[in-house]
Amino acid sequence: MKKAVELVLLLLLLFFTPHIMGKRYSPPGKPTLTRCRSPEKETFTCWWEPGSDGGLPTTHALYYRKESSERVYECPDYHTAGENSCFFNKNDTSIWVNYNITVVATNTLGSAFSDPVDVDVVYIVKPNPPEKQTVTIMEDKGWPFLRVSWEPPQKADTRSGWITLIYELRVKLEEENEWEMHLAGHQKTFNIFSLRSGGKYLVEVRCKPDHGFWSEWSSTSYIKVPDYFHREKSVWILLTIFSAFIFLILTWLLHMNSRSLKNCILPPVPGPKIKGFDNQLLKNGKSDEIFSALMVSNFPPTTSSNYEDLLVEYLEVYVPVEQELMQEESKDLHGGCLKCERSTSDSDSGRGSCDSHTLLMDKCGETKEEGRHTDRASSRMLTEAQRHQKGWEKDTLTYAHGDMVSPDMSNGRVKTWPSVFSPLPQYSSNPLDKQSSLEMAKQHCLSTSSCLTQPGHSTKEALGPSNWDFCLGNKQPHLLHPQTQVGRQLQAHSEVNISNIGRKQAPAGLQSPALRSTEYVEVQRVNEEDLVLLQPVVSGCGRIEGYPQMPKGKDYSKVKGVDSDNMLLLQREVMEEDWWTGNCYTSSTVNTTQKPTACIHTAMPVQGDMALAMNGYVDTATMCTLPTC
Amino acid sequence: DGQRLFSIAVSRVQHLHLLAQRLFSDFESSLQTEEQRQLNKIFLQDFCNSDYIISPIDKHETQRSSVLKLLSISYRLVESWEFPSRSLSGGSAPRNQISPKLSELKTGILLLIKASEDGAELFPDSSALQLPPYGNYYQSLSADESLRRTYELLACFKKDMHKVETYLTVAKCR
Repeated sequence: MKKAVELVLLLLLLFFTPHIMGKRYSPPGKPTLTRCRSPEKETFTCWWEPGSDGGLPTTHALYYRKESSERVYECPDYHTAGENSCFFNKNDTSIWVNYNITVVATNTLGSAFSDPVDVDVVYIVKPNPPEKQTVTIMEDKGWPFLRVSWEPPQKADTRSGWITLIYELRVKLEEENEWEMHLAGHQKTFNIFSLRSGGKYLVEVRCKPDHGFWSEWSSTSYIKVPDYFHREKSVWILLTIFSAFIFLILTWLLHMNSRSLKNCILPPVPGPKIKGFDNQLLKNGKSDEIFSALMVSNFPPTTSSNYEDLLVEYLEVYVPVEQELMQEESKDLHGGCLKCERSTSDSDSGRGSCDSHTLLMDKCGETKEEGRHTDRASSRMLTEAQRHQKGWEKDTLTYAHGDMVSPDMSNGRVKTWPSVFSPLPQYSSNPLDKQSSLEMAKQHCLSTSSCLTQPGHSTKEALGPSNWDFCLGNKQPHLLHPQTQVGRQLQAHSEVNISNIGRKQAPAGLQSPALRSTEYVEVQRVNEEDLVLLQPVVSGCGRIEGYPQMPKGKDYSKVKGVDSDNMLLLQREVMEEDWWTGNCYTSSTVNTTQKPTACIHTAMPVQGDMALAMNGYVDTATMCTLPTC
Repeated sequence: DGQRLFSIAVSRVQHLHLLAQRLFSDFESSLQTEEQRQLNKIFLQDFCNSDYIISPIDKHETQRSSVLKLLSISYRLVESWEFPSRSLSGGSAPRNQISPKLSELKTGILLLIKASEDGAELFPDSSALQLPPYGNYYQSLSADESLRRTYELLACFKKDMHKVETYLTVAKCR
């Protein structure tokens, strides 16, 4: 009984003791094979990781099986490779043979098997790092480079070809963080170029078999590149000195030739030079002297002195049977308008009043009035004027050409429109005729203007200044030379037509081209009914074929005389045909009569022939230069 | 020039081995994990069709063998794969290239054999004997085991190619 109790107590003690102690024993945990490696494809080692030991001393055993064989072998060597490892030596290692390896952990309570692992030695080769690594500095034409050389790991048998290795090295400067990798292939040496002078380099090498793992990096080799900057420096110094020298030379050359270079690169801008303008005077600030210097003694042209007389006093005109249109108002008108004209010729005069249509019109109106009253005087003046016609050469006293009423008669020039002027056969002036012609002219002017205005010509105002010009186209058909009546008719005709013309086109038929304020009509011919057929001329290029080229220049028409209606009749000198080259005439034809002798002067840019003779010529085309085509 | 021939042969077999490796890894990656484990187990029990060819299995043996022996073994190995390589699965172009390459390699090895001494003696028309007893081994397997068959094929092919590569390399360096 006692024994039984003791036994029970003992058992209980046995059981409880560990419980009291707080400890539990258990079979070992499952170990795991971590890796197997072969350094040279002749031997290999396997390592495992043990599991929990269960509190009891545990032993591990490795068992393996070769492929296609059921025999189980145990690891021949547990110690060579360290703890928890198994080393297979050459005799136990077979290549191209599958090993099935298992590790067993055993303790008193039990044992645990690891998962089996299949190993083929060929595919687990991880060689040792290369050995005997050397780094040396060598020079290539004065520039240094590194030569790295090494040996394969000792164990790896590359000589027999049993194992072939490829190598890789890496380089970096001491202070850098990133390595520079170089693959060296099968060779055992390598060159590194482009070194930094005076830098310290680190070099490492590793290798790998054809089918396997990379080895670890070899031990680091240190190398210091010598300073070759010194040599570089000398070159730079030489270069600097040389370039400085060149620079000095260039500067000296530039300095010597500065002036000519300046002219070459920056040519002087020609300044404005006004004859007689003295900069010094300007600087001195005496304006009087300056402007006096500017004034040319004989400016404006001295011929104007004659003009003065003429302008003021009279205009010499012919008074043939036909009417010549002589404005004595024209005189005044001329005067005024001429003056204006003259003034307008001076674009800088600043006397804009003369340029304005309205003003001119007013003036014309006034002169008309005055003209009426001064017939006598005017006739006389006319005669004289005629004499002085010579002096008129270029002046814009009488414009034989009508410029047209165009809204943009910007120039405001007074243009006469001797549209239906008949040729003036002679210059003889008949006072009476003159008078009459003057009167007529006046009246013509008036009538014309009224005529023109009556139709409600749009360009009334514009016509203003040229109204009296249109006097030419006045009621009385005196224009025609031989036959007064015809001329009258002609005149009337022309007048009407002109007015019509004027009506038709807003800026009137006698419209000026865009640029010019003159319109030209080309007299095509004079038919038997004493109608002058005018033909619109293509703008700018209106030359009748066959017609000789008119020399450009001043266009003049010869004043034939003043007809009874006081119209100035201008004559074209050459009279083969009644051809006038007109420019850009856009109106319909104006019929006039008379072929042979009736030279009807339209306000043309009478060119050429007319302009030839100076005597008794009136510039018919002063204002109307050749229109631009 | 022997060395040149060797170099050519070695490079060719290296290429073949790489091909085999790629094929195998592709196949393995396409498998499920479950299948992989099963195959691993199975493979150990089976053997390659070229197992009948006795070849050195370690360095010692290999170095002990003569160049001629190594060459002949390589030749037989390559020859044994000429026919089965046509049925290598892979679904890509390399499969079709393997067979002709094997033929070329075989020719090269033959040249090497003839170039070396005693070459003529070794082949007294023994090719007939070398036919694998399991010539129809792979055809006999049922369709269900095609996966396993493919795995075996690829693994064996890879191994054999590596063998030949090693032998030729050793022979070249000799």
